[in-house]
Amino acid sequence: MSESNPWASQWFNAQQQFVDAWSDMANSGKQGKPSSQSDLWAQSFDMWRKASGAQAQPEIQQAVDKCFDMGKEYFAMAEQISKSLSSGAKPVDAINQWMEQLKGSLQQLGTVPGFDGSGVNDFMKQWFSPSQSWKEMAATLTPMNQAAWQLPGMNTSIFNLGEMVDPLGKMLEAPGIGYFREPQEKQQKGIQLAVEYQEANQAFNQAFLRVATESIQGFQARLMKVDPAAMPRSLRELYDLWVEVSEEHYAEFAMSEEYQALYGDMVNRLMIMKKHYSEITDDLLRAMNLPNTREVDTMQQRLQQLRRENMVLKKEVSEIKTMLQELTSRRPQAPAASSAKAAPAESSAKAAPAATSAKAAPAATSAKAAPAATSAKAAPAATSAKATPAATSAKAAPAVNKANPVPAATKAAPKATVKSSVKKSSAKKSPAKKVAKKAAPKKKSAVTKASKGA
Amino acid sequence: MSNSQFRSDQVVEEIVQFNQNLSKGVKNLLDAEEISEGVTPREEIYSEDKLKLYRYQPSTGVVQNRIPTLIVYALVNRPYMTDIQENRSTVRGLLDSGQDVYLIDWGYPDQADKYITLDDYINGYLDRCVDVMRKRHGVDKINILGICQGGVFSLCYSSLHQDKVQNLVTMVTPVDCKTPDNMLSHWVQKMDIDAIVDAMGNLPGEMLNWTFLNLKPFQLMGQKYVSMVDIISDEKNVKNFMRMEKWIFDSPDQAGEAFRQFIKDFFQQNKLVEGGLELGEHKVDLKDLKLPILNIFAEQDHLVPPAACKALRKLVSSKDYTELSFPGGHIGIYVSGKAQATVTPAISEWLNKRS
Repeated sequence: MSESNPWASQWFNAQQQFVDAWSDMANSGKQGKPSSQSDLWAQSFDMWRKASGAQAQPEIQQAVDKCFDMGKEYFAMAEQISKSLSSGAKPVDAINQWMEQLKGSLQQLGTVPGFDGSGVNDFMKQWFSPSQSWKEMAATLTPMNQAAWQLPGMNTSIFNLGEMVDPLGKMLEAPGIGYFREPQEKQQKGIQLAVEYQEANQAFNQAFLRVATESIQGFQARLMKVDPAAMPRSLRELYDLWVEVSEEHYAEFAMSEEYQALYGDMVNRLMIMKKHYSEITDDLLRAMNLPNTREVDTMQQRLQQLRRENMVLKKEVSEIKTMLQELTSRRPQAPAASSAKAAPAESSAKAAPAATSAKAAPAATSAKAAPAATSAKAAPAATSAKATPAATSAKAAPAVNKANPVPAATKAAPKATVKSSVKKSSAKKSPAKKVAKKAAPKKKSAVTKASKGA
Repeated sequence: MSNSQFRSDQVVEEIVQFNQNLSKGVKNLLDAEEISEGVTPREEIYSEDKLKLYRYQPSTGVVQNRIPTLIVYALVNRPYMTDIQENRSTVRGLLDSGQDVYLIDWGYPDQADKYITLDDYINGYLDRCVDVMRKRHGVDKINILGICQGGVFSLCYSSLHQDKVQNLVTMVTPVDCKTPDNMLSHWVQKMDIDAIVDAMGNLPGEMLNWTFLNLKPFQLMGQKYVSMVDIISDEKNVKNFMRMEKWIFDSPDQAGEAFRQFIKDFFQQNKLVEGGLELGEHKVDLKDLKLPILNIFAEQDHLVPPAACKALRKLVSSKDYTELSFPGGHIGIYVSGKAQATVTPAISEWLNKRS
């Protein structure tokens, strides 16, 4: 690239403006200005990545990084196109020339043993972002078996897994002997599973390499077919067309039986391997008398079941309380109602003996009501009434509301009871609330908020 | 291509402009304030484990629908998408048209939550939230607006608890999960879900992100950032862009058992269509749904294709079934200006007529 070439001069000026803009922003000068054109862009980007890294929130830094990465890819495209155009090529030839270069480099990568998406031209990196991001994610999901990646045959960017699998497979199939037979077999199995996952991962990557190459041909074909009036007239339009064609090729691949099988196999093998290594870790923890995943799992499962049962019981208790309240309110009302009006809520509740309430309850014959009757006998009615504030009865609403459009506590109960109930639900210091709070502090406080907000 | 105006100097000019925008944009990004989750004032009404039920502050000066509406969002993303920014808020639109809006935030499950099942979510958490609302408002039934996976939950819930639901609105809700254009479904057909859940406990949010972004990798991980450079050179756009960006990568882990059943029953065995769906001891049959239903889908939805949503019509017994088609995508249906002008008012109008 000669300085006397007009393209080189234009390009250099553009780069210089770019660097100046970034350098002004960086206001640091620590990185120094790039000395050669070839790495100017990359150095500028890296300089800015470092300069901005310290001050940004994580989400913002992530977005900035993505802008930089895509900027690099976009610039790689601009550089190639501009270079070809400046040599006097027609636009279509310039693009084709660039495409042929990309195709050639991909075909070359196809011959690299254990291709994993590395070494791809900046512009084509997007094609391998699914496999690259998968690789990064898989590494975070399987932290315990990193050592396995260092074994011969595991580092797929250096070794040809296909060539390694046979001898490695034979070694791994060798029977374990002696006292440590079992752990040895588990380790062998682990390595075997890691090899199987790597094979699946490589098959996935190879398929992407093939489809990416096909997409370049597809892009060239599309350019030939496009109506001249609809031809891209700018770099951006050309880029957008490339995205459109690539997305179409990708979608076709992603919806194929081949992708389904490759992807499914890769995920399944990763999970089988992960589970196996978790079991090895569990054995190790057990040997150290430390809790392991299996034990914690058992506890969590039991706990969840208990919580489920607890919720059902709480709901039933709440329903029973509401039923009791309803039944209490249905007892012969005439004198009670008048006295209730005159008397304070507490005395009204006391006036309803538990035995009467239980006798009056038609529901006492039902299985659900039976324990309620017992509890009513055991506890004074007044206590029972206190323990049924509106907030608590919210849990029982489902059962009650089937019969009554409005919750029973506010409609069916005598005025005095209603008053009492409402008063207690809004009075934070009521004894009933204290009891309920002890039983279910989290829910209770939430319901209190409900009362506040109502 | 012969007609193309491509010239070397034009390309350079374009790239210089791009550089300038990029430098301004990154500066604006670095200056951006912390991103909030949602914009409309709200109050926490009820909480249980990691779940929170919020009520949004009703709009003043509008006639209030006496039946409150509960938004049931998906587990796979965060619900603040419905209230992402002041002028792009489905919640705000509903409030302004007289709805009393509640929303369930499912929270971020951790490994201690991995045994939470779909039954726990639907007949447990969701049912208790509905009961809290019914109690607060003194009504038998409430309105439910289910979004995406939350729409699936709402359909199951409504079919089992029809006595508690007045009207059901489903938005971009997958019903037939095996339509030929469903990429997500296609990908999971050969996955060993048991192996995943047994190995991972919960499904990591990173895996969900990977999946969603790779449905359209060139647009979502490439083109978007090139286009973004144009818009974030204007600092007003930075905050809005970052809100979306934050949301896209904000995928909670999925409680293992719920995820296991969701993928196996809905995506692999398509039980909403084929039948045989059970939640705990309850059998779910969409034929039981007789309540009014408004089913909204997005014509360019790459996550939940329209056909997956429209399958609902033939599966329910409702005599008051309405479909609303939105010319946009899965996200645009809540956040686009077009959606604010058409979808949200249509929901409110439909609800008001039936409440």
